[in-house]
Amino acid sequence: MTTKSAWQLDMNAGPIFVQIASGVRRMLARGDLAPGQRLPSARDLAAELGVNPNTIVHAFAELERMAVIETKRGLGTFVRKDAPVAALRHDLLRAAATAFSAEVTALGISKGEALGVLKEVLDAGES
Amino acid sequence: MLASLSDVTKRYGRTDGLSNVTIDFPAGQVVGVLGLNGSGKSTLLKLLAGLLFPTAGKVTLFDGPPREKRAKLVYLGENDSLWTWMTPADAETFMQGLYDDFDVGRYRALLDSLAVPKRKTKAMSKGERGRLRLAMALARDAKLYLLDEPLAGIDLLSREKILQSIVREWHTDETILLSTHEVAEAEGLFERVLYLREGRLALDARAEELRNQGRSVVQAFREVLG
Repeated sequence: MTTKSAWQLDMNAGPIFVQIASGVRRMLARGDLAPGQRLPSARDLAAELGVNPNTIVHAFAELERMAVIETKRGLGTFVRKDAPVAALRHDLLRAAATAFSAEVTALGISKGEALGVLKEVLDAGES
Repeated sequence: MLASLSDVTKRYGRTDGLSNVTIDFPAGQVVGVLGLNGSGKSTLLKLLAGLLFPTAGKVTLFDGPPREKRAKLVYLGENDSLWTWMTPADAETFMQGLYDDFDVGRYRALLDSLAVPKRKTKAMSKGERGRLRLAMALARDAKLYLLDEPLAGIDLLSREKILQSIVREWHTDETILLSTHEVAEAEGLFERVLYLREGRLALDARAEELRNQGRSVVQAFREVLG
């Protein structure tokens, strides 16, 4: 799961711990990470990304609070078997739709036309 | 507090190296010391290392003067003072003789992860020597690490290796002060950043807090200088 580019860390895009937590959620939603799978240790991930280990610990704590991951003493950190994958997928889809909607509004395009284009693009399988 | 400066001024002849600086360093922080040349970064680190005395104000380390607590701190200066005939193995013997807290196992692991060649230092590149010096410094078991420009003037790959080794070797009860110009590369490592400008503390901030306000450490650096 851990190529540096997959995390898309951007120092201008808010706190790093938030970006790492959303990175894990995105990987889970896309199937790059599966329930029950073990995450790298905070230290290893920190070294790989060149960030402070505490930042990773902070991100993991946030994910634990959201019931996405769990720490098993002495074994490591794992994606929870009951991680809310469907809800995460829905959240990401909704976020993409909201961004689309904002652009449509900014352009002053009608709902009908926007939906038409959206359908066209989906049918063509473009991304 | 692990270390602190209280209202410290250091004058060199007529010029101020540092003016009226007050900073506390708790245990367990990785701190970026940022600023242009001549902003007082080296002066700050040397004062904490007990290599300089303040003209006014007080520097304390573990509740005492730095001079008496030298065993608990590691200072890596800007000047490369390695003997030219030394190999990394010679440096190991040298460090063992000098410091009780020098951990040979840690040193060898660091040489390995930093890919330091076994040659004499006179046959090493600047980046290779920089990596060797860092291995020597990080192999000591101390509470305060003062690293003055360990990334300066060396290649990108060496810089990445050095940052990774620091992340791996840092124990959460240790405090590291790292001065650098390479702000963008190192910014993820810092929990806290100090911006020095003309000997004064222009900003003392938490890196994640800056980013929470929509500013990277690099952006904040530009604003402080501008």
